[in-house]
Amino acid sequence: MTVLNHTLSQQDREQGDRIFWRLAATLGVIVTTYFALVPYFGLNIAFHFYMMMWITMATAFNISSGFSGYMPFGYVAFYGIGAFTTAILVKKLGWSVIAAVPMAGVAGVILSLLFAPTLRLSGIYFAIVSLALAAICRLIIANLPEEWTGGSFGLQLGSRAEPLNAFFLMMGVMLLAIASVLWMSRSRLGKALKAVRDDPEAASMMGVNIGWVRLKGWMLAAFFPALCGGVEAWYTNVVDTETAFNTLVTTKTVIYAVAGGLGTVTGPIVGAIAMSWLDELVWRRFPLVNLLILGVAVMALVLFLPRGIVGSVLRARPRWRRFIP
Amino acid sequence: MTALMINGLVNGIIVGGLYALLGLSLSLLYGVLRVVNFAHGELVIAGSYVAYVLFSTFGLSPLAALPLAAISFFIVGWGAYFVLIPRLSKSDDPEAASFLLMYGFSIAMAALLLLIFEADSRSIDYSFDPISIPIGPVNVSTARLVALAVTAVVSAAMAWFLFRTLPGKALRAATMNREAIQIVGVNIERLSAFAFALTFGIAGVTGVLIALVFPAFGPFSGAEYTIIGFIVIVLGGLGNPMGALIAGIFYGIAEQMATVFLAQALAQIVGFGMLVVTILVRPTGLFGFRVLR
Repeated sequence: MTVLNHTLSQQDREQGDRIFWRLAATLGVIVTTYFALVPYFGLNIAFHFYMMMWITMATAFNISSGFSGYMPFGYVAFYGIGAFTTAILVKKLGWSVIAAVPMAGVAGVILSLLFAPTLRLSGIYFAIVSLALAAICRLIIANLPEEWTGGSFGLQLGSRAEPLNAFFLMMGVMLLAIASVLWMSRSRLGKALKAVRDDPEAASMMGVNIGWVRLKGWMLAAFFPALCGGVEAWYTNVVDTETAFNTLVTTKTVIYAVAGGLGTVTGPIVGAIAMSWLDELVWRRFPLVNLLILGVAVMALVLFLPRGIVGSVLRARPRWRRFIP
Repeated sequence: MTALMINGLVNGIIVGGLYALLGLSLSLLYGVLRVVNFAHGELVIAGSYVAYVLFSTFGLSPLAALPLAAISFFIVGWGAYFVLIPRLSKSDDPEAASFLLMYGFSIAMAALLLLIFEADSRSIDYSFDPISIPIGPVNVSTARLVALAVTAVVSAAMAWFLFRTLPGKALRAATMNREAIQIVGVNIERLSAFAFALTFGIAGVTGVLIALVFPAFGPFSGAEYTIIGFIVIVLGGLGNPMGALIAGIFYGIAEQMATVFLAQALAQIVGFGMLVVTILVRPTGLFGFRVLR
């Protein structure tokens, strides 16, 4: 009987896995085709560029907040450092953008290592310190010599603007981010992160190296926003401290990720797509009250849909958890 | 001591008093409700606007605006509690949810202020007679000294309330053990609503005082005060109102002294740096006794 049960559950799990990967592949194909066709059908490139950026940001934020249980409210620090790394490498050292953007990712990872001591804080302490660290980053960069950062005028990348190439690079970054989280959610690392988040002591007893697992998740979560900052710098062609370290970047990332549902792969994607559309529609029709609606939307989300769109669906249909990415 | 340093010290105490009020209310709220009020700065700025409107349309002095702001904010806070907070307990992680909720609240508040008052920064040109009073070698504006006096009175009243009256003791008890206090017959719902409304009231008072002490305020100056409030409560120990009072004054003096010796931008870094170092070295706050967790 037990043997039978075992084989059944084994079969069950394999079937679940199959559905999971099929769904993931379908999702990947749909997302890729849709965004790849945007320039050819003359759709709004700027809107879709930023939608992809928010999908990436929310997805990466999910690694930290959904999988590891840390809420970095200074998430914009990684984005800003990526933007400035790219701009300085391109403008001051004459690198090509394609070479500079990966270095932006590296800069983000280095910054995450500098911030790593804060990982021993938890909950609200972590969030507050993260907020302060982002402010420190902005102040330091704003006070660096002007020949490096361009002072309050910022840095122009000059004639390097190629919006369409930037669009496809953003798409590559987004697919990389989604693929990483997809892999992570099924990997040892993802499971270890969730175990450490839920009960560090128990995870440690089971042989998980808490510090190392948290650090890996944290570096991964810092890598993608830095890339986003770099690509966005290329797209808009200008970088300055006010926009690169704008707290609204953190705000939107948090809202979009929470709207979709933390801890699932599809959640932040669905959230970013839905909220980008909402933002766009509201912005177009009521530009003045846009910010007000954004704020009220966050409150409504927390009060009425605390698990986000995908999270609520999964709660209503717990059996889907096995194969919904 | 040079005049510049005395000036820094006096201003530090005045500004620090306001920071102490910010910290006191955030700390009270976190202690009793485990709610992290990200919107506190915006509430404070709303208080400044109340003083502004009362002065510019009715010619009321900011001193008269104090009780009006306190009472109206208290009532709004009482109502807001029942709309916002009870639902939070249904969430998986109420503390993080409260942070997000109040984050949304702060965005909405700032946007609302922007809609009503537009983006220009405002100031109140109310002046006391005489305009300034000499203290040793430095002249301090009367408005700032009045603000200091009000801060002292409010802080003393809060200390008396928290340590000498039954509702105040209940609040402190709720900070220590939320379950046990219900066994001895305290209506936790009403107590929580009261704490929430009380911090709204203090925010109103703080706002009026900020309009007196700082040269100008705009719809988006709130975030700055929220962050300062957070720094203060972390320095003072989360959920420890008296620690927040001392830490606020300490932080104000450190900040003002830093502006004496360092460039403006670096002085800001000093404040944030203090927070980071404190948290990494002494996570329980400067005064070290662990009230919570």
